[in-house]
Amino acid sequence: MAKTYQEINEKIARGEAVVVTAEEVIDIVKERGLKDAADYVDVVTTATFGPMCSSGAFLNFGHSDPPIRMAEISLNGVEASGGLAAVDTYLGATQPSKDRGIEYGGAHVINDLIAGKEVHLVAKSQGTDCYPRKEIDTWVKLEDMNEAYLFNPRNCYQNYNAAINTSSKRIYTYMGILQPNMGNITYSTAGELSPLLNDPLLKTIGMGTRLFLGGAQGYVSWMGTQFNTACERDEKGYPTTSGATLALIGNMKEMNPAYIRGAVYEKYGTSMFVGVGIPIPILNEEMMSFVSIENKDLYTNVLDYSVSSGGHPKLKKVSYAELRSGAVDINGKMIKTSPLSSLKVAREIALELNHWIKKGQFFLQEPIQSFPMGNALKSLEIKEGEAR
Amino acid sequence: MITKKILLSFPKMATGKPMAMELIKTYNLDFSILKAMIDDNIKGTLLLEIRGKQADIDAGIVFLRENQIGVKDVQSMVVVDQKKCVSCGACTAVCAVNALEMDENWSLVHHEDKCLECMLCVKACPMRAIHTVM
Repeated sequence: MAKTYQEINEKIARGEAVVVTAEEVIDIVKERGLKDAADYVDVVTTATFGPMCSSGAFLNFGHSDPPIRMAEISLNGVEASGGLAAVDTYLGATQPSKDRGIEYGGAHVINDLIAGKEVHLVAKSQGTDCYPRKEIDTWVKLEDMNEAYLFNPRNCYQNYNAAINTSSKRIYTYMGILQPNMGNITYSTAGELSPLLNDPLLKTIGMGTRLFLGGAQGYVSWMGTQFNTACERDEKGYPTTSGATLALIGNMKEMNPAYIRGAVYEKYGTSMFVGVGIPIPILNEEMMSFVSIENKDLYTNVLDYSVSSGGHPKLKKVSYAELRSGAVDINGKMIKTSPLSSLKVAREIALELNHWIKKGQFFLQEPIQSFPMGNALKSLEIKEGEAR
Repeated sequence: MITKKILLSFPKMATGKPMAMELIKTYNLDFSILKAMIDDNIKGTLLLEIRGKQADIDAGIVFLRENQIGVKDVQSMVVVDQKKCVSCGACTAVCAVNALEMDENWSLVHHEDKCLECMLCVKACPMRAIHTVM
């Protein structure tokens, strides 16, 4: 029997909703069958905790007296954008600091702010009639700011390739350190627990979906950048390449520093581990079928990161069960596989979201608009010549 | 005969004493210095691999401690800070001997005795949760 968002929310309000994680649901479907399981379960929680570079924070510091129109802005030595109004800024997660480089970047400042630490704000300005101050040097805390929210243009890649290095040199990548001569394979996903792999055709996840973001209740605000729903899929509709992405928004003041962490990829740059949990309403048997997917039936490609021009060559299509097994056969050689995103913390997030729903603290939000299917990726063409 | 790795920390008042000589002469211990950091008159740290009889090693350690020298058993040159580690697994990708590996619950485990001290994990850790003992 089909359910509506409203009916599920009423069950949540009464404390009667049956909420399980996307890992737990697999056995429930095996035991009860699809139809009975779809009647029984109301919400399935999914989660991921991994590096998501395209993340950052909008901050408003409030006005000083006399006021300043901040142009060159830094927080703990990390440059933030001066391209907004007087005391608004956007701090990108991957921006390195002037003194410590990639070892301390925008993501680390964001983590420090969420942890309640004081952060050193320095800004300069040319000075204007209405904003006469030319310099400011002070310390700021999250609680003293007017607004502070994460706005991450691209989180939650639906799927992502695995990485290998066929060259004779070690390479340092955003997929970790790849040893020469196919010494290792890395992959980054929560697999069968991952949000967008449990709703492959985005039937319930769209603009306005309420979710867990860094320990707070946040929202899907737009489709993520490099949103690709025209991607290669298996016969059931699950993407076998990167697929969809989400732009997420959430109040930093309600976040937990355990779920938003600065990260450093050697000789690559700063990134940010972002904790996201998304509830999937079991509206019907079709949704129950989607969330019952297992790692053995989810696939990705192993790509050669030693070749950067013309795209990374594809070596092999593998399932997440194979990747999770610890080794994959490539051309007759067993290659060690290692994860890059934390399944352990993803499981904690799926359980925390589960508890919020069971306690009646979190309700489902039906998308106010669904995302387009068939949206393809464009690449950047290099055009020659003068201004046109 | 057994072999053991120990990390010695010399406080300011102990930096001038000839402790190594005592270990060799009195306690019949043989050792190799794996790493030394000695800042004259402030403090020093010394990573030793000592070889000798169990009883002699134990007595030598008691002697060092009596002289205000910190003695810590060290199995591996690297330490994983559990407060910072998120069990992502990036370090396991470069650990050729599986001294760092994921357990069945996808938590990182550190088998200190397997470590070959290549130190690649220190660079591979995105949380900078892995550091050397000295």
